[in-house]
Amino acid sequence: MLPWNYGFHWSAGTIIFLGAFYTVLVVILSTLANALWRSWRDVRFEKAEALRWMSDFHDLPARDRSCRHELTGDVKVRKCPHAFDCRICELHPKFMARQRPESRQATPESEIFGLPFPLDRLYHRGHAWVRPEPDGTIAVGLDELGKRLIGEPDAVDLPPVGARIQANGTAWRMQKRGADFRVLAPVGGEVIVVGGQDQEWYLKVRPEDQPPDTRHLLAPHEVKPWVMRELERMQIALGARALGASLADGGVPVADIAAACPNADWDAVCGEMFLEP
Amino acid sequence: MDRKLISRGLERRPAADFLRWILPWAALLAFGIYAAALCLVKGLNQTNMDNRFAFGLWIFVDLTMIALGAGAFFTGTLLYILKVRGLRAVINSAVVIGFICYSGAVAALMIDVGQPLRAWYTFWYPNVRSMLTEVTFCITCYLVVLSIEYLPVLLKNRRLKQIPSFLVFEFELHKLMYVFAGVGTFLSFFHQGSLGGLYGVLRGRPFAFREGFAVWPSTFFLFILSAAAVGPSFVLLTAWAVEKIAGRQLVHPAVFRSLGRISGMLLSVYVLAKTIDTLIWINRTSPDAGFPAWQFYAWQPFGTWILFAEIVVFGLVPVAMLLCPGVRGRKGLLVTAAALACCGVALNRFVLTVQTLSLPTLSFDGFMTYWPSWQESATFLGVIAYGVLLYSFSFRYLNLFPDERELAGEALEPRQAPVLAGRF
Repeated sequence: MLPWNYGFHWSAGTIIFLGAFYTVLVVILSTLANALWRSWRDVRFEKAEALRWMSDFHDLPARDRSCRHELTGDVKVRKCPHAFDCRICELHPKFMARQRPESRQATPESEIFGLPFPLDRLYHRGHAWVRPEPDGTIAVGLDELGKRLIGEPDAVDLPPVGARIQANGTAWRMQKRGADFRVLAPVGGEVIVVGGQDQEWYLKVRPEDQPPDTRHLLAPHEVKPWVMRELERMQIALGARALGASLADGGVPVADIAAACPNADWDAVCGEMFLEP
Repeated sequence: MDRKLISRGLERRPAADFLRWILPWAALLAFGIYAAALCLVKGLNQTNMDNRFAFGLWIFVDLTMIALGAGAFFTGTLLYILKVRGLRAVINSAVVIGFICYSGAVAALMIDVGQPLRAWYTFWYPNVRSMLTEVTFCITCYLVVLSIEYLPVLLKNRRLKQIPSFLVFEFELHKLMYVFAGVGTFLSFFHQGSLGGLYGVLRGRPFAFREGFAVWPSTFFLFILSAAAVGPSFVLLTAWAVEKIAGRQLVHPAVFRSLGRISGMLLSVYVLAKTIDTLIWINRTSPDAGFPAWQFYAWQPFGTWILFAEIVVFGLVPVAMLLCPGVRGRKGLLVTAAALACCGVALNRFVLTVQTLSLPTLSFDGFMTYWPSWQESATFLGVIAYGVLLYSFSFRYLNLFPDERELAGEALEPRQAPVLAGRF
């Protein structure tokens, strides 16, 4: 049957069979080798963080992948196909161009349902913000909803000074009630100074590009509808076990929701709100 | 205890409950391994098979598992090549089912062959004129493909994906999955067909012998069709069973309906082909071989009822049910239809394996009966236990149903979520 076997004869049958068999083997092995080579290349060129976010985004429930233009009403239903990176989105500039004038002209609010969202900064869908500093660096912090959600964190793991972070990669890690989660970096660059929860910001970063490309960050007029959606998501994530029977009658989220809802599955809540499935 | 290994947002029973669930299956697996070891150490005299009845429970189980495991290749083909996106909800489960079915079948075959240390002979000294050679090569290659397809599911485990090299390998492998889906489809077509062809070429067994095209008897094509038809049904059935055991919704009802419709359409083609094939066999093939077809059904308990059951009860009835949108809309009926379809393919493999060997073909030959020994039965139960254990661990620690988290959220939404964002 095989060329090295005693009594082997070449025939049409053996050629077809061996041809098909070895073709299949070659396809399997070369595809596997291709995947290994691409993986080695990704690790070598430090693409792991970007791929982690792509992988996480792929695993997010559809309701968490809504396009920012769905939130502002520019489009009825649209799931983001670019992992919240509007810089590579072909439709984002078109949506921005035809945005309803009233929505852009409306005066943005610096306080949304009692939560301060200052207008001097841009917000990321993962609850981090960026603010350009006079010295050319960018301050990165946690937004008010993120802060109130976890209250006083049990631990914060900040990157060392000099480390490079990537937009949509891990900016820093936090722990709360047994949940260990990462906060997505809103911009890429080199970490210049590290802060913490005692300060307003967590990191100061020298951006990769000057001026930094911030098209993927939420503009002031987009923050309110986004925060509304985030409050809804938070209520769903906290679930009936944490909240009990409740009536949505307004009010302001307390300063430490984690302390107020100790029965919630905080691992799941933090994963849901900080987009780490 | 093992919370850090379970994906975020997925509710799983406490570790103690899980331990209680797996212990009896682990005991059954241990019993199966003991029985298999007896067969390997003491020889095949531990079974009730002999030179006359060389195929028994194990081959019947192998053929059935390989047919039911076809859901993996067929779902993969539909998702990665034909881009039926909705099946993403069950592809991981289908891959695990396929892996269990094929690895279980290969394990049972190793024991059946009885000389595991010489397993490589089949690759090194293959018999070119045997359908089984093609089956062996294809099943081995496909098990390798299934193992590769299982890898990304495994590497998505919460702890494993924290390791950057695993994460990127999973990502890159997933991007190339359409190649493996294509290779899997190619291999599956041929080995499913050759398993059927194996019976169809038995000239000395007029009950199984069939005419066909070129070197392929009709059973070659019937096996491919039947496997492709029941594969989605078995995926559906498994997802439903896991939903019942886990006590939560895992798959959107639309996906169940879609699987049922696909299965129904293919099953209708299979039943039509099987009916035509049976009519040709009754009126031409069997009389030409010197045996009026009714003679084969004179030996009890294998009367004409078995043919009626195979074509009507487990064929036409599930076809009618699965093709009716009203029936597909009611989960109980849909699952019943899928179960009937799966039973149908099992009965078909039983008939070709056991009934074929039971019937006499020579004048001095008698009707033979066969009942598996306890070692054979225990080995079979061990394979079942292996499947349940592997699926249980996979379900607990891997994300087999990607929509599970979303469906859990949807269950809460109508009661809890105020609709605020729509105002802006």
